[in-house]
Amino acid sequence: MGRLPSRFPVAEEDEDKVLKDELRVFEQHKQEWLRSNSGNFVVIARATVAGFYPDYESAFRAGLEKFGVAAQFLVKQVCAEEPVYLIY
Amino acid sequence: MKWPRSPATLLQEGPHIPILVSATRFEVEEGRAVGLDFPEWPVQALIDTGASVTIVNPEVAKTCKLKWTGRAQIIAVGGVAGEFPEHAAAISFPGTSLASCDVIRVVACPIVRRPFSCLIGRDILQRFRLIYDGRTGDVEIL
Repeated sequence: MGRLPSRFPVAEEDEDKVLKDELRVFEQHKQEWLRSNSGNFVVIARATVAGFYPDYESAFRAGLEKFGVAAQFLVKQVCAEEPVYLIY
Repeated sequence: MKWPRSPATLLQEGPHIPILVSATRFEVEEGRAVGLDFPEWPVQALIDTGASVTIVNPEVAKTCKLKWTGRAQIIAVGGVAGEFPEHAAAISFPGTSLASCDVIRVVACPIVRRPFSCLIGRDILQRFRLIYDGRTGDVEIL
C-alpha cells in the first residue's frame, strides 16, 4: 500500500538549519553516551544537555520544563545505528 | 469503539477513523497562559499496520504548531527513502472513550492518498486492541 509519494520533496534551506547545532552536539558525544546511556533519550537545546530519559514522552516533558514552550530542543534516542522507519 | 461500514467500503477505503491532532496538552496549557494559540485539527486517519511510526501531513504539523524535536529516516514501499521532521503531538479520538495519546512522536511526511492526513502506525496501535472484520465491515478499537 504505497501512500507516500514516489518522489520525496527536497528539504527547504531553512528546514536544514533546524536543530543543526543540537545534532552536532549529539554526534560529538554519541560514542561517550553509547557507553553510559545507550537506549535512553537525550534532550539538547543548543549546547545544553538537559539529561537522559527512558522514553520519548518523559524526555519531551523534561525539555519543556527545562527550556520552555517557545524553545526549540532535540529529543533523540542514543543508539549505535540510526533507526529507519518502514512505511508500507 | 466500533466503526461500522459495509465490507465493500472497508475493502475500498481501508480502516479509517476521525482523530484530533494538536500540540501536546502541556504546550497548549502553557501556551494559553502566555497568549500562544495551538489549534486542534480534526482529520481522518488511516490505520496502517504497515507503518512502524505515525505519519501526519506537513500542513497538519504546521497548522497545529507541533514542536520539531528531531529528524527521522523513512523508507516507504519500493525502497524509496527520505529524511523528514519529527514532531511532538497529542492525538485524541473524539466521541470515544479511547485514551488519548498526550505525547506522541509523529513524522511529518506528505501523504498522497486523500482524504487521509494521518497514518496511525504501530506506535499508537501498541496501546490498543484492533479488530478488523472484513466479513462485516466493522473496525473496532478497544
